[in-house]
Amino acid sequence: MTRRILLHVGTPKTGTSYVQDVLYRNRPRLALAGILYPADRFDAHFLAALDLMRLPWGGLETEAIGAWDALAARVRRHEGTTIISHEIFATASRSQVGRALESLGHGTGGPDEPELHVVLSVRDLVRQIPAEWQENVKHRSSITYAKFLRQIQSPERSTRIGSWFWGVQEIPDILDRWARDLPPERVHLVTVPPRGGAPEVLWKRFSQAFGLDGIDLTLETERANPSLGAPETALIRRINRAVNRELPPAEYRPLVRELLAHQTLSQRRTSPRLGLPPDVHEWVQRLERSWVEEITVRGYDVIGDVEELIGSPPATWSDPDRPDGDDVAAAGLDAIKALLLDNARLRQEGAGLRHELDETRDALHRAYLRPTYRLREKIVRRLETGQVGRVLLKGYRLARGRSSRSA
Amino acid sequence: MASPTRHSTRDADPALAWVAHLRAGGTEPWTSWRARHDDAPVGASSPAASRTPSAYVPGAQQLELLRRLNLAARAGRVAPPPALVERVVNASAPGRGIPDLPLMGTVPGPHRFGPRPVDPAELAAGELVRVASGLLAEDLVAAGVPPEASAPAGFRRPWAPSYRISGDPWLVWPVVSQLGRRGRGPGGRRPQWVVVGTDLPTMLTHAWVVRSLDSSAIGWDDWLTNLRGVRSLPRRADTLGAVHRAIAHVGAERVTVVLDPARVPRVLGTRRRVRPMPPLGANAADLARRVAAPLGGLVLPDHRAELLRHTLLPRLLRLGDLGGRPLAVPPEHTRWVARRAARVRRGLLATGCAVVGDPDVLLRRPEGRDLQDRPDDQGMLDLALRLLLTPEDDRSTEKGPTPG
Repeated sequence: MTRRILLHVGTPKTGTSYVQDVLYRNRPRLALAGILYPADRFDAHFLAALDLMRLPWGGLETEAIGAWDALAARVRRHEGTTIISHEIFATASRSQVGRALESLGHGTGGPDEPELHVVLSVRDLVRQIPAEWQENVKHRSSITYAKFLRQIQSPERSTRIGSWFWGVQEIPDILDRWARDLPPERVHLVTVPPRGGAPEVLWKRFSQAFGLDGIDLTLETERANPSLGAPETALIRRINRAVNRELPPAEYRPLVRELLAHQTLSQRRTSPRLGLPPDVHEWVQRLERSWVEEITVRGYDVIGDVEELIGSPPATWSDPDRPDGDDVAAAGLDAIKALLLDNARLRQEGAGLRHELDETRDALHRAYLRPTYRLREKIVRRLETGQVGRVLLKGYRLARGRSSRSA
Repeated sequence: MASPTRHSTRDADPALAWVAHLRAGGTEPWTSWRARHDDAPVGASSPAASRTPSAYVPGAQQLELLRRLNLAARAGRVAPPPALVERVVNASAPGRGIPDLPLMGTVPGPHRFGPRPVDPAELAAGELVRVASGLLAEDLVAAGVPPEASAPAGFRRPWAPSYRISGDPWLVWPVVSQLGRRGRGPGGRRPQWVVVGTDLPTMLTHAWVVRSLDSSAIGWDDWLTNLRGVRSLPRRADTLGAVHRAIAHVGAERVTVVLDPARVPRVLGTRRRVRPMPPLGANAADLARRVAAPLGGLVLPDHRAELLRHTLLPRLLRLGDLGGRPLAVPPEHTRWVARRAARVRRGLLATGCAVVGDPDVLLRRPEGRDLQDRPDDQGMLDLALRLLLTPEDDRSTEKGPTPG
């Protein structure tokens, strides 16, 4: 059997969370088809990426130590097809890519060398730019949209935001790093359909790229990385500014990112959507066209339509740095409601636990009141008052083989 | 891994030839090398090169670091170990930040994709320190924690005085470790509680240095700026807070505040002096902080703190002046620090605890000493190069003061 490795290395905000969850939940079914998705937890490949690139991630990196080598070892042992998927692989440097591919067995030239394919899911910059800003905001950033745009437009890319953005979004450069010595037919670009298309189209394209057509998979998932509207993102940015100094990262993730952003504010569908300011659009389109030309010249296997990488100008534009006050207030009200309900749930849970603790204490107390216990306790107390008694107790405890000094 | 240089076109491609030059210990800057090989073809290193498994040119940061390493090695009349050279060539700057940068002049035609090519000689020293910090973190993991650091505390002699000690960790560490080795470590029944402190600016520098040796803390400037915005002092520099906690445990009558660290042994009932920790230079402290970040991706937090304190710190202290001058609070922060110090002094005298030393020490501003306001990237790079070049044999025989 030919060993194949499908390495899905990006890009963020292209349906990757959904794909990874489908693959993770369907591991047994994939295994029956000889396909390995080597993960013991949903974020296993994320941890492997953190480890490979030595990226700090709010303390999560401590769970990632050794994760890449462990993943690579599992991949090397598998005889069939393996899928590895995480979008932050996109930002790996050439030496990190070199280390990754070498540990997967690529480049040995021997008969055991696996057939390596690189998969990159891509979306037009008209949607990617606001989505990346929103992602920054959902990771504690309080940068304004205008400043974010200035930083990514700077040719030097010297800021953390600029260097990260292009590291995970610049398609030709990502493929220079990940696929420079692969034949073009082993480089697969999955394009995200334009807004308004049927939702199953994207999955069908992924399925084709990964060779999953014909395998009966469960496609319902609970994981997604839902988008926020302009006033909701503005609200989260303001919350970040207010709480960043005091709320530790471990608390931020469940409370702000999950509870407020994902579970609450993303449900508000009628608010103005984030978009690209009209004055940036020409620059973006020039860039998109140059990428499309380069991809066409390189001859990669495009699943979808490469022209989908040229985004349409937004019909309307709502500035998230100057949101409508009423919209932000309404989003804030929803946020307060969610926090109150969550707090009420925690209080109920706390009360339940206190009740259980009280019951346990009572049971323990009743046990202490049994006559035999009281008699033993009395004897020990009496013995502890005298020298002879203490020696006897010590001897007894030694004979019993316990170091405990309590009766 | 596809080797960064072993390629048939090495001699023809100036970039790959420069990599080979550096690998052999060369020190010629890229621009003059490029000028001398101007007629040679470029392209083997370009992204559009043939798609056969091939060499690549490492990032400008790694190559410039190797060139500086060669320069430092030449100045010190040593040769960089070949393994170290390979590690530098294959390194990547850890964490988020500027990616590996291409060399100026390696890609024909106008720049199209990827980060802009640069002249490596013009890279900021801090960017080279970023790459070096990843290598130093690997060195620490390879060296491990010295066995004596993880040995359990010795037997506490029954006649040793009962005491607990808290306060400025830089002043407390040597007391705990050296008295502990003499069987006079903290402990015992009904202890006297000793809180050790000194002037607030010095305590703030100590607190930040200790924080840098614990985790990848934020930089000195940002840390001070954040402190100015909050009312409380950091726990490690808060003498008054330490006194209140001690009082809550043992009562004010059994708490002694020592503001002259040299008098701590006498207060604890021993005549033998305790060798204090020498101050750590500003550059050394900031380098430790920067090494802590990539180290956090290699080992768990407790082990990281042990490696920083027991393996890296003695090495840094041993290099003495190379670590830079000790830190001082910059002038823009002295006013609020002085106000807080006055508050601490007032609060301390109101507690009624015994004070050994002059309470006005708390108001002192360290002046006239050879201090520096903030770490210096170039100094940090020199220090990092020195650490990278220190042979493992020398490191194992290092004996410097170590924290308890």
